[in-house]
Amino acid sequence: MKSILKIALGIIAALGGFLDIGDLVFNTQAGALFRYDLLWAVALGTLGIAVYAEMCGRVAAVTGRPVFDVIRMRLGFGPGLVALVASTVVNLLTVAAELGGLAIILQLLFDAEFSLFVVLAAIGLVIVVALLPFGGIERIFGYCGLMMIVFVATAVHQSPDWGEVAHGFIPSLSSSKLYLYFVVGVFAAALMPYEVHFYSSGAVEEGWDKSSLRENRLNAAIGYALGGVLACALVVVSGYLFHPLGVEPGDLGTVALPAQGAYGETGLLLALGGMMFCVGGAAIDSSFSASYNLAQFLGWEWGRYRGPKIAPRFTVSWLIFLFLAMLIVLSGINPVEITEYSVVFAVVALPMTYLPILMIAGDRSFMGEHANGRISTTLGWVYFALIVVLAVAAVPLLLMTNGGGG
Amino acid sequence: MHGRRRPGIAAALVVLGIFLCLFPGCGDLSRDELNRGVESLSALAAQGELIANGVARDATKSTYTRVMAKTLGGEAEHEAEKLADAEPEATVKSERNAAVHVAAELADLFSELQTFPGDEHHGVLVEKHMGEVKEQADAIVARLTGEPAK
Repeated sequence: MKSILKIALGIIAALGGFLDIGDLVFNTQAGALFRYDLLWAVALGTLGIAVYAEMCGRVAAVTGRPVFDVIRMRLGFGPGLVALVASTVVNLLTVAAELGGLAIILQLLFDAEFSLFVVLAAIGLVIVVALLPFGGIERIFGYCGLMMIVFVATAVHQSPDWGEVAHGFIPSLSSSKLYLYFVVGVFAAALMPYEVHFYSSGAVEEGWDKSSLRENRLNAAIGYALGGVLACALVVVSGYLFHPLGVEPGDLGTVALPAQGAYGETGLLLALGGMMFCVGGAAIDSSFSASYNLAQFLGWEWGRYRGPKIAPRFTVSWLIFLFLAMLIVLSGINPVEITEYSVVFAVVALPMTYLPILMIAGDRSFMGEHANGRISTTLGWVYFALIVVLAVAAVPLLLMTNGGGG
Repeated sequence: MHGRRRPGIAAALVVLGIFLCLFPGCGDLSRDELNRGVESLSALAAQGELIANGVARDATKSTYTRVMAKTLGGEAEHEAEKLADAEPEATVKSERNAAVHVAAELADLFSELQTFPGDEHHGVLVEKHMGEVKEQADAIVARLTGEPAK
């Protein structure tokens, strides 16, 4: 029972981190454009984040060091600074996208001025973080995010051709630039750097040690598998409903339409509620990640568990990131556009995040008997090679497809 | 500088005039661009049909319908303005005009949804009209591409 309760970290990472506005947007658009053809990319991305999250959690549990600590240690100050700047820019864009997404969902639920909801969403997040302990934040956003299961129920209700759905899990490539852009987008949305930053720092916040290794494996396996199932469900329901009609889901509200089609107002409310907690959780994850990275790189005291008195610079930097994100959204840029850019630019920053993790997790002198085994090493390097290829292709594809606009 | 003649500009205007006389069919809206615009309209109409279906079945939330209708109606209006402002190639001028008409009709339908987000009767009517507008958009695409309508 204790183990089951303890996988909360994995669930929030999977729902509030893995399933964020990037997944909602890219997976729904991928289904609308290519029906089930990109399910393999979702599955591939899910396995990738599970592999790397497990490594991060293991490093944190064995050494007590979170990701950015490891990045600075392995890359040194100069390249580490480059990694810090790149990940901070991506994290800031991600926080803005999640905050904007949260405001859109609140607007769909309560219909008032968008800018008002941006401010209210930011204030709400500050209050939640100020009042709740780290574990409480995890539980609220993680468990309420489970409302997203309505998309799995919708997929079952729609009763698609399951053979065709299964066929979508067989990897296939096309010469279409738009298809390749979405392969990159769907894969990258699953592997956003802030997810591992948050996961490993969260492990330190929760005081993991070597006895937590089993819990870490369960978190990575169950949490991300659950996130993967929900992400696949988004592709399936969108592919079933939107693809034949030629709908181009460019608005966050459109993501909830299939649930409304299947279960009426209840389905709509569950979908919007699930999306709200996933996006809200991701806003906290990504803003925390930005502050974790900065504090860990500069050697500040950090952590929600330490509180603002012991870790004042960490707390202030978190508030500044949230404030800057709020200004970006209030400037009028469409949050869905910010999402697309943050996901694609995140791909470019991925190698700088994942290579140091792979190196340290495989270092026997550092990790001892808990260093990567044969399977982790192989999977880690295969994924790293994939990440490098995608990092090179991401920006040209973004430009060639006009940001996925064709 | 005021009142001073600018031979460079005058020459450019003469060249532009000759160019426009020689190539009157060359507009800034190509067949492909128009086709993409009309496909977007068809996609908006399909979304509108789904939203209106929720209203017709009393299976949605008014705030959701109103906000979505406002957003999508704004997109339809923007598309209408974009198409109306563009100078089309001579061969697609009539299709451009038809597309502007479709976009304007679509914007009106979304406006109706925005005004009556909880009225089932309006929902039924708007759903039907959205379907018709989508058919019109698909027919324009078919004429532009030479492929049968979806």
